[in-house]
Amino acid sequence: MESFELLLHGFTVALQPMNIMWVTVGGILGTIIGMLPGLGPATGVAVLLPLTFTMGPVAALITMGGVYYGAMYGGSRASILINTPGDGAAVAATFDGYPMTLKGKAESALAISAIASFIGGVFATIIMVFVSMPVARFAVKFGPAEYFMLFVFALAATASMTKGNRIKGFISMTLGLMIATIGIDAQSGVKRFTFNILELQSGIDFLVVIIAVYALGEVFKSFKNIAEGKKTIQTGFGKIWISMEEWKRCFWPILRSSPLGFFIGALPGAGGTMASLMAYNNEKQMSKTPEEFGEGAIEGVAAPEAANNAASVGAMIPMLTLGIPGSGTTAVMMGALLMLGLQPGPLLFQQQPTIIWGLIASMFIGNIILAVLNIPFAGIIVRVLAVPPRILYPIVLGLAFVGTFAISSSVMDFNLLIIFGIIGFVMSITNIPATPMILAVIVGSNMEQSFRRAYKISDADLSIFIASPICIVLIALTIISILFPIIKNIFEKIKK
Amino acid sequence: MEKRRIVTLIAAVFILTATVVFAAGSGENEEAQYPKGNLDFVAPGGAGGGWDLTIRTTAKVLKDTGLVKVSMPVRNNPGAGGSVHLTSLQEVKGTARTITVYSPPLILTNLNGTTEYSYNDVTPLARLIADYAVYVVAADSPYKTMNDVMTALKKDIKSVKIGGNSSVGSMDHIQFLIMAKAVGIKNLKEIDYVSFDESGSAQVLGGHIDLFSTGLSEVLGLIESRDLRALAQSSDHRVGEGIIAEISTCQEQGIDATFVNWRGIFGPPEMPEYAVSYWRDIFAKMVKTDEWKAARKTNGWDDAYLDGPDFKTFLGEVNEEYKGVLSDIGMLN
Repeated sequence: MESFELLLHGFTVALQPMNIMWVTVGGILGTIIGMLPGLGPATGVAVLLPLTFTMGPVAALITMGGVYYGAMYGGSRASILINTPGDGAAVAATFDGYPMTLKGKAESALAISAIASFIGGVFATIIMVFVSMPVARFAVKFGPAEYFMLFVFALAATASMTKGNRIKGFISMTLGLMIATIGIDAQSGVKRFTFNILELQSGIDFLVVIIAVYALGEVFKSFKNIAEGKKTIQTGFGKIWISMEEWKRCFWPILRSSPLGFFIGALPGAGGTMASLMAYNNEKQMSKTPEEFGEGAIEGVAAPEAANNAASVGAMIPMLTLGIPGSGTTAVMMGALLMLGLQPGPLLFQQQPTIIWGLIASMFIGNIILAVLNIPFAGIIVRVLAVPPRILYPIVLGLAFVGTFAISSSVMDFNLLIIFGIIGFVMSITNIPATPMILAVIVGSNMEQSFRRAYKISDADLSIFIASPICIVLIALTIISILFPIIKNIFEKIKK
Repeated sequence: MEKRRIVTLIAAVFILTATVVFAAGSGENEEAQYPKGNLDFVAPGGAGGGWDLTIRTTAKVLKDTGLVKVSMPVRNNPGAGGSVHLTSLQEVKGTARTITVYSPPLILTNLNGTTEYSYNDVTPLARLIADYAVYVVAADSPYKTMNDVMTALKKDIKSVKIGGNSSVGSMDHIQFLIMAKAVGIKNLKEIDYVSFDESGSAQVLGGHIDLFSTGLSEVLGLIESRDLRALAQSSDHRVGEGIIAEISTCQEQGIDATFVNWRGIFGPPEMPEYAVSYWRDIFAKMVKTDEWKAARKTNGWDDAYLDGPDFKTFLGEVNEEYKGVLSDIGMLN
């Protein structure tokens, strides 16, 4: 119960009026940044970096935390309304969120997104209070072989769940894996497919591909639709809330996705994108009506939204307890901690209880504030659907370019944006699904590097991939996820 | 419609003329009034990284001490281990506004062929600080000293798996090889070095790699909590306090080599002489201030001040040293 006392102490810190103000400011800033394509939590936290010099450590951390999970609330807004995720973690929200909008159910999608985010965030914070150290200790058991199997599992699950033509899904995934090989190979120092272009040496940022395929792709598609007179705008709007029936459908998915998201987030290098995609796959496979997924199933919005918020909380664990930044955002936060003269590591909880528990308590408060703010806010933002496409899409186009520049201030990324935008458009008119490619771009490089690391460590002995219980469990899960749809089909046929 | 177009045209011409006149005028006065207007402080890596921390701290100290009165906004221009920014610097050749920070990767990226530009294509203003390499193992590792590791490597070159956060042929790798070379290991190329993106410390904690070659500041917390054991550090003297000061140097263990992760401030190539002497003077003053000393203590940075010309000589020396190691592992380009 020591944790509980410390948490109460944390609340006395977090409830100070100034700190409530900071978490609100951070949360609102995060929500807005999260909505803009390309601007994710890492950018938001980086913007705050110079300010941390003038703020105290508690205020700085609380604000940054607010930006981080605020961005998770905001990230899915654009995914749901205009099919343009602002960040990797918001990709999964497009799968069912956008179909819901097309069916005129944007209000429910936005509401469940805020509710699921809230539950995911609070749930993960509760776990963090009690088991952050054990979770961190367990996370370090993941070596290169375990990571490789985890990435294989994530990729297999998504490839097997793609709608329609499997071959096309496979083509899309392979294309993504090819893109992921571009850049200097860290294990050999060799330049691969860089064509002597300096900017390509650090590889292609997956955010550029996401913005290109989704935002630009959507713009191109809408031009086509406008030209053909297919595009309509919504004029009447309902209340931002969900029905009892919708809530019942989402209850268990949210509760299952929150701990999953939390744990994936706590693994350094996995992160919110993986968490939300895995939660989505998980729910699709457990669902009694998997055919509704991708057509506007509300639990397909709830699960990834709960998972990515839980992951943003989980990601702070390796950073705070071990001093290991697990994601781009926590890397910047760790830089801020160092600037403030704090040394993240196992002793931080003992040396700086006020700061750490103040931060944790502020996560509860921040999530409540964000949930309360986001519902009425969604009521305003949903009206974006009433904007005529010929005004809306040029704005989206502009934001896509601004967002791309924000990633690494590189003009080269503009060229990539246009190239991938065209690729995305061609894929959409030839009915090749974009999601497997996106996922492959996100995990491809990590997956390959993990394999190479394991291979080097084991002196080229492949048995390292089945050497630990974690590997075996992951292999089993991969096989199940590939075979599950087939087995289920067989069972249903027998029943008939 | 027609009228509006004419007005726009006139306005454009006016603005253009004003800009040209202003630019010409400011050119004459720039030397006398330097620095005037905004300076451009750039970290060639991402926010929160080592370069970012160094340049932000420097800008803050310069502002707090009043040494520089104009504003010094910091921006990030990351990519290819700092090489993207190195290329950008060539485009502002001969100007005086851009101030940037670099460390050993400046030299390594040139030697391993990432970029054609080298330390000769920037203007060294001052070397400011140093971090040192530290070689850590898990608390339950059989290796107690650096020599244990070297003996094991001599017996079986594949027996110790070295990990680091930078890629092959970059800093974390080289700083280990310098030590291995010093004890007479010949087949440096065959030593397995595994590159982890950011998570090397988790990998050594979990026992997936045998030794983690990194910077002291990266693993300070884990050494203090005794989750990781430091075998040695690469300085020529002991640094820090408490448990950190207990870490012996490689030299004390009979390995006659050092590695310094120096960080210095640079201007663009062919920076005008008035700007170079301005900054040399400013940094000479800055390193003596209490604010700078406090900032060094907070960040665990060792003092490594060298004035511009000496810094340039130093860069030439380390260039030769790194070249030797890279050529041993066949990565010299």
